[in-house]
Amino acid sequence: MSDIIKKSDLSPEDKKMLTKIFWRSFTIFAGRSGGQVRQHGAAFIWVMLPALNRYYKDDPEGHRQALIRHAMFYNITQAIGTYCMGLVASMEKENSTNPDFDPQSIVAIKTALMGPLSGIGDSFFWGVLRVIAAGVGISLASSGSILGPILFLLIYNIPAIICRYELTFAGFTMGESFISEISKDGLIDVFTKCASIIGLMMIGGMTAANVKFTSIVEFPIVGADPVTLQSYLDAVFKGLVPLGLTYGCLRLMQKRVNQNLILVGVLALAIVLALLGIV
Amino acid sequence: MESSVTTALLAALAYYICYAGNWMFGQCMIERPIVVGMVAGLFLGDMRTGIMVGAALEAIFMGAVNIGGQVSAEPASATVFAVVFVLSSGIDADAALTLAVPIGVLMGFVSMAINNVAFNAFVPFIDAAAERDDVKAITRINFGAWGLRFGIFALIMFFGVLAGQEAVSALVSGIPDVVMRGFKAAGGFMPAVGFAILAKMLWSKELAPYFLLGFILVIYLQLPLIAVCAIGIVIVAAVASRDMDLMNLKKSLKNKGTASSESDEVEDFLS
Repeated sequence: MSDIIKKSDLSPEDKKMLTKIFWRSFTIFAGRSGGQVRQHGAAFIWVMLPALNRYYKDDPEGHRQALIRHAMFYNITQAIGTYCMGLVASMEKENSTNPDFDPQSIVAIKTALMGPLSGIGDSFFWGVLRVIAAGVGISLASSGSILGPILFLLIYNIPAIICRYELTFAGFTMGESFISEISKDGLIDVFTKCASIIGLMMIGGMTAANVKFTSIVEFPIVGADPVTLQSYLDAVFKGLVPLGLTYGCLRLMQKRVNQNLILVGVLALAIVLALLGIV
Repeated sequence: MESSVTTALLAALAYYICYAGNWMFGQCMIERPIVVGMVAGLFLGDMRTGIMVGAALEAIFMGAVNIGGQVSAEPASATVFAVVFVLSSGIDADAALTLAVPIGVLMGFVSMAINNVAFNAFVPFIDAAAERDDVKAITRINFGAWGLRFGIFALIMFFGVLAGQEAVSALVSGIPDVVMRGFKAAGGFMPAVGFAILAKMLWSKELAPYFLLGFILVIYLQLPLIAVCAIGIVIVAAVASRDMDLMNLKKSLKNKGTASSESDEVEDFLS
């Protein structure tokens, strides 16, 4: 199992099984039938059935044990969770043929993968790819163009689906050594840093484009048009208030203030400013 | 009266398609406001307006992400309500957006109650089915939970829109102008919260200047976001190649260090 096999070396049966797992993986978060305790455990079993039914075809007890094993808590970012599914398939294969194999190691590796995989997956897919997709989508959609939502969906989903597909096979062929290898090399750190740079630039850009503040306060000048407070603010630094407001929210969040509370606070702030005649 | 029943039905249907569909089809983002606005607008007769409302709410709810089942707002419901307010109740778009936000927050709590509290009841049945090696039962429970959960949400939407439409138009017509101005301003303020949530995920002292760079590129140079993204890719290519070089340098220094003691001095000197 520790040997790395090439994708082209897979037998047609393996390919068929992994393709089925790939298609089934789209429903992984559909039921959330395990509440908070198990989350997507039952769905994980359903996704893995092409592998479990194949490897434990003549071993009902082994099949039953596998179901019990995988009813545990499961939650990994969708687009990269298939890596775990492919890996589990390869370990179940080993378990079904090798009597010395400890099935507990399947559970152990699965559990160990969830945190790191979701950590990379959430920040990349939610924090970067979706932000890029939404950035492009919102600027088109705010004028009512149907291209906005369509491009949003394409920019997000094409890489996400390719990733989902490739990682199903990668998990099966490369095994658990792959992740530890690239994290030892520091490659993951470089990747995370690069993704964060693009993500932060996009969020900064979107803050400038979407957070809006215009003051209506005017200072009367004798014998000339009144000067607005806004023109003074713009002269200091354009977008000073939106930038300050966003940074303020960020600081509050870093102090673990509830986000919904901050949202209500910002709403209240706007109304107070309106009552004071500032906006 | 009949027209408001039709509106409520169409709203609930649009909500169901987007929300339940999103989770059945690999979280493909069709529950995000920018898409929900389009679908709800299409159903209620004005897709263009729906898309614009969706775009505004996408910015506000940018940070409302469903990560690891944490509680956050539920943006799809807020979007459907906002589109209904604008298209069927004829409420001003800015006020509709602001009114929709608390609805999204409230629905976030409903969603938490269903997902994280009520659905724990299924766990013993899942365990019992696994114990019996009963694949069919596990499949039934899992997909049944899907049908049940989103059925409940669609019902809430139907009755919410049915009851809410009239009440909200009455409420809005009673709001004084100055408060409406506040609502309008709030529409411009609230995206700040969403961007802050996102920035927090990626924030570090070292990388903070890149946030500022993105801000400046748009506010002063008025670059479109796709250009900001392209500039980001160029920067990242440079950063990555430098970091890889540094990594390799460190590695080669380490290897030399084990081979001879001479290079220890070099290492000390460099560090």
